[in-house]
Amino acid sequence: MPSFLGACEVFLTDGFMYSVLALGFYISYSILDFPDLSVEGTALLGGMSYALLVRASYNPWLTVLVAFMLGSIAGCVTGFLHVKLKIRPLLCGILVNTMLITVNLIASVVGMGGNLRGEEALTTIPVGRQFITILRGFPSTLLPTDLGGINARKLIVLFVVATVCKLLIDLYLKTKNGLALRATGNNEQFVTTLGIDPGSSKIIGLAISNGLAAVTGTLVVTSRGNANQNMGLGMVVIGLASVIIGLSVFNKAYFFKDTTKVIFGSVIYQACLSFATYLGVPSAYNKLLMALLFTVALVTSNFTTKHRSDSRD
Amino acid sequence: MIKFDNIQKSFGIGTPDEMQLFNGFNLEVSEGEFVSIVGSNGSGKTTLLNILCGSMLIEGGRLLLDGADITKLSEHERAKYLGRVFQDPQKGTCSDLTILENMALADNKNKKFGLGAAINKKRIDHYKELLEPCQMGLENRLGTLVGTLSGGQRQALALIISNMADIRLLVLDEHTAALDPKSSELVMELTTRFVKEHSITTLMVTHNLRYAVDHGSRLLMLDKGLIVLDRKGKEKEQTTVESVLHIFNEISIESGN
Repeated sequence: MPSFLGACEVFLTDGFMYSVLALGFYISYSILDFPDLSVEGTALLGGMSYALLVRASYNPWLTVLVAFMLGSIAGCVTGFLHVKLKIRPLLCGILVNTMLITVNLIASVVGMGGNLRGEEALTTIPVGRQFITILRGFPSTLLPTDLGGINARKLIVLFVVATVCKLLIDLYLKTKNGLALRATGNNEQFVTTLGIDPGSSKIIGLAISNGLAAVTGTLVVTSRGNANQNMGLGMVVIGLASVIIGLSVFNKAYFFKDTTKVIFGSVIYQACLSFATYLGVPSAYNKLLMALLFTVALVTSNFTTKHRSDSRD
Repeated sequence: MIKFDNIQKSFGIGTPDEMQLFNGFNLEVSEGEFVSIVGSNGSGKTTLLNILCGSMLIEGGRLLLDGADITKLSEHERAKYLGRVFQDPQKGTCSDLTILENMALADNKNKKFGLGAAINKKRIDHYKELLEPCQMGLENRLGTLVGTLSGGQRQALALIISNMADIRLLVLDEHTAALDPKSSELVMELTTRFVKEHSITTLMVTHNLRYAVDHGSRLLMLDKGLIVLDRKGKEKEQTTVESVLHIFNEISIESGN
């Protein structure tokens, strides 16, 4: 049975880690109203590329940026399918996600010395102690790994990454392009009359959100020490639940920005999961628990926040 | 200035309900004209505006703006030259954004939506000046979410916003139809003042015959895709609501409405 302090450590680190994913969903789901299922593939894509590049001794922070860009490209594909080929959002996500299963499998097998048929190598990529990850590289090395029994370094690094992502999104949403993105989610017709193509706005939004999902993948790999082909599973539920919990629990908290609420939401969601583990629920029940929690969040948010409740429309 | 040249438009092509609305429709509007378009339901008024704005494709014909062919331009590309106010007050503005944010977006129309700051504080006084003439007190509520405004206030804002960038043509699509009588009067009055001040070429579709007669410099009546009445200048000034209503009724009886 894990200690109470240990459980707190887990939900805080996991909360910050998955809040990056949730911030992506804030853009795609909350702003653009696009339930994007492709993130399960892009998170894995990010984690996979990070693991391979870190093993090849590239700078881990640079590698996170590369993962962001790869994720963005995948997001552009989702956007392209929807905007240009007029495929429904849910199907676009499923298509890209499915394509990425192959891409990720082949990439990792080839990266680990196998062949292009996807054979003759491990599909799980370990990132052992000998490799420099974002936790074992500068400037994280300045932080203590152990502080009163808690892995303070991991906690602080993940907190900083989540905060930086949040601040960058806040900044972006204040730019002309960011405001156009918000307007696109709200009223496509209005955006069109301003001479903006709402389609390109959507593609930009999906690129950002999938980039963030890929960054989350790198954090998960850092935290677990390996990248395996199943690590993307459940990401949609985690991300969406976090956004919905954050925005509905802090619905009336006007002094918090939405992005802050989303981070809180992610921490609350992970806290619920950790608490269940602390109470002795076996980890095999995790996914069921995740989905049940998500259902509760969805139902309660229907009562607390009537969608766009403050407007007369 | 704007020319509809031999426009062909049908609905439900390939189905038993196929219906041809425009068969070689022609219309030319000159610079500075304020055209009111009336007609019963299904006469093609709104379709005409949708064709102009690019929200509906046509099977044949051309659209010329200042002599340039704009037929192939997409809706958002054409929007560069057009300002549009819709019947639905929710369409012309963004409910989840504040008045200030809506105006800042409109202020940037036809410019690049890059990574510069969206709101330029130096422009705020200019926005207030634009809002003042509607006398709704909107100039003191720049931080208010547009979703909390009334329909009349939203239409007034949409009207101002539509013309913040240099546009060639203002398109009003039954923009008073969803308002209560008082707000409707107010918005119509604002519209006339606004069009005069900016001397902008305007196309207005309306169901209100009195608005069409009292406002604007040219009156068009459409029926089944044809122009059945076209009055401008002196002739338009002498037109009364009664005479227009008479023609309107005759058409309605013929078509069994």
